[in-house]
Amino acid sequence: MISFENVSKFVLSDISIYVPEGKTVGLIGASGAGKTTFIKLACGLLSPESGTVRTIGLQPEKERKQLGKMLGILFTDISALKMDDTVAGNFELMQKVYGINKEKFRADYKDLSERLGFAAFENQMVKNLSLGQRRRSEIGAAFVSRPKLLLLDEPTVGLDENAKQVFYELLKEREKEGVTVVFTSHDMAEVSKVCGRIALIDEGRIRYYGEEEQLRKKFAPINKILLEFSDKIPDLEDLPVVRYVVNDNRLCIEYNDNYVTAAEVINLIMQQSEVKEVKMRKPDLGDIIIQLKKKGTEKWEVL
Amino acid sequence: MKSDTLHVMAVYTKTIMKAWFQYRTDALLSSLTVFFREATGIIVIYFTLLKFGNLGGWNIYELLFLFSLLFLTYGIMIIFFTGLRDFGKTVRNGGFDRFILRPRGLLFQVIFTNADWFAAVGHGGLGVALFIITAGEVGIEWNLRNIVYCIFTVIGGVLIQGAIFLLLAALNIYLFETNSLKELFYWNMRKFAGYPISIFHKVIQICMIYVVPFAFVNYFPAQYLLRKPDMAQYPAVYMYITPIIGITLYMLAYGFWKYSLRFYKSSGN
Repeated sequence: MISFENVSKFVLSDISIYVPEGKTVGLIGASGAGKTTFIKLACGLLSPESGTVRTIGLQPEKERKQLGKMLGILFTDISALKMDDTVAGNFELMQKVYGINKEKFRADYKDLSERLGFAAFENQMVKNLSLGQRRRSEIGAAFVSRPKLLLLDEPTVGLDENAKQVFYELLKEREKEGVTVVFTSHDMAEVSKVCGRIALIDEGRIRYYGEEEQLRKKFAPINKILLEFSDKIPDLEDLPVVRYVVNDNRLCIEYNDNYVTAAEVINLIMQQSEVKEVKMRKPDLGDIIIQLKKKGTEKWEVL
Repeated sequence: MKSDTLHVMAVYTKTIMKAWFQYRTDALLSSLTVFFREATGIIVIYFTLLKFGNLGGWNIYELLFLFSLLFLTYGIMIIFFTGLRDFGKTVRNGGFDRFILRPRGLLFQVIFTNADWFAAVGHGGLGVALFIITAGEVGIEWNLRNIVYCIFTVIGGVLIQGAIFLLLAALNIYLFETNSLKELFYWNMRKFAGYPISIFHKVIQICMIYVVPFAFVNYFPAQYLLRKPDMAQYPAVYMYITPIIGITLYMLAYGFWKYSLRFYKSSGN
């Protein structure tokens, strides 16, 4: 769906990446790492200094009009909406500009405006909206043309929790329909929640690209299980764990995800004792990245 | 999608009108302000010229006829080319990035999403009023030939000024800000265009004919209708080629615009 071959532009340096169709990929990295530049290259707002970019098989800059019909885009610094028009007026214009079937458009507009809550202020001028109201309308604008590819730059900035949940639901629905999504975020928990794949961009290079689980297995395989028992603590001698700490009837186990699964550990324990409560703890994605940075770049090989 | 281009143009116009009429009183006052601001300039010129009687052989109504063509063409031009006049602002506020991301022609969007109706009504209204009054006073005969000539000449004059704005918009891609150039090459040259170019120094005449060809917007067309003796200094063919100059300049500016787009850098980052 998106392919970058040895692409350099601004801070991005010689990056190669392929985003397959139907996947949701989270681009994460510090401010200035090159996330927005990546999105702008993919949609044709920027051209690479060197290398090749293909989006949905097209050259974004040269085949802008054909590509534009298939893209849903959201930026923090470029509003999809005209400020001196109403929200509804902007959507009406989009229906014409994108050549969307009227019936389909009406149904999608109704669904999006009600779920994202911008139906309540659809007749207000965009310039008079609050940031949150504008962002909800802009998300609607990115989704309403039923694009094949969604490029979303910091999409949840300015959204309240309610709107964020609706946005996540919408993403999941579109993913099921086969839509490809690339979105940038500083919020690791959000990326972890929504994206099947992650791409870590650091100092203009892609340090890791793949499933989040693979990243964890490679760089942070030690997970924790917290257990509370009704009666006795089981015999822990033969458990395949890295270490454990016992505190009254509570047990904290650290295990290596590369050698044993949480289910296997819990099964072994449950054969011996009655477990009252189980809690799983995985290292925070943000912490993993910070740790990797501290260890130095040699650890950051692209998988 | 091409077949619905007119429909999209209509929606764009509706949006502009909606924004314009959002504050009706303000819209009316703004248009009247432009009208009276420009009219005041004309009144000052009128009373000044009353003292002299004529300027370079042109009487007061003939001079005002020159002005009328300038206002009329600007009034029409600004309906279509406001987006090009204000292109720097569109780039800075991210509006041009929005156009790039939409599946429509860039120039189409730049042109049809903007129209300065205040200027159009103010300048155009003044232009029409002056044209009607002065054409009667200077005794222009309204036969079919002259009517067709005027229509094509006005179109040519609009295109010449549109080409200047398109060229400056394209330069904006390299220079980020072209207000000074606009001031120098459009607004300053336009001030000269209110008078017969024959009264100016040769250098200014060359500029008005070959650099920023305002002479083809009003001076040479007025010569066709008025046949003043100072036309003898210039090739007679100049009276007939305003539409050709307009189309040619616009095509050249369009070519430069298309070429320049490849160097456009998105706002931010």
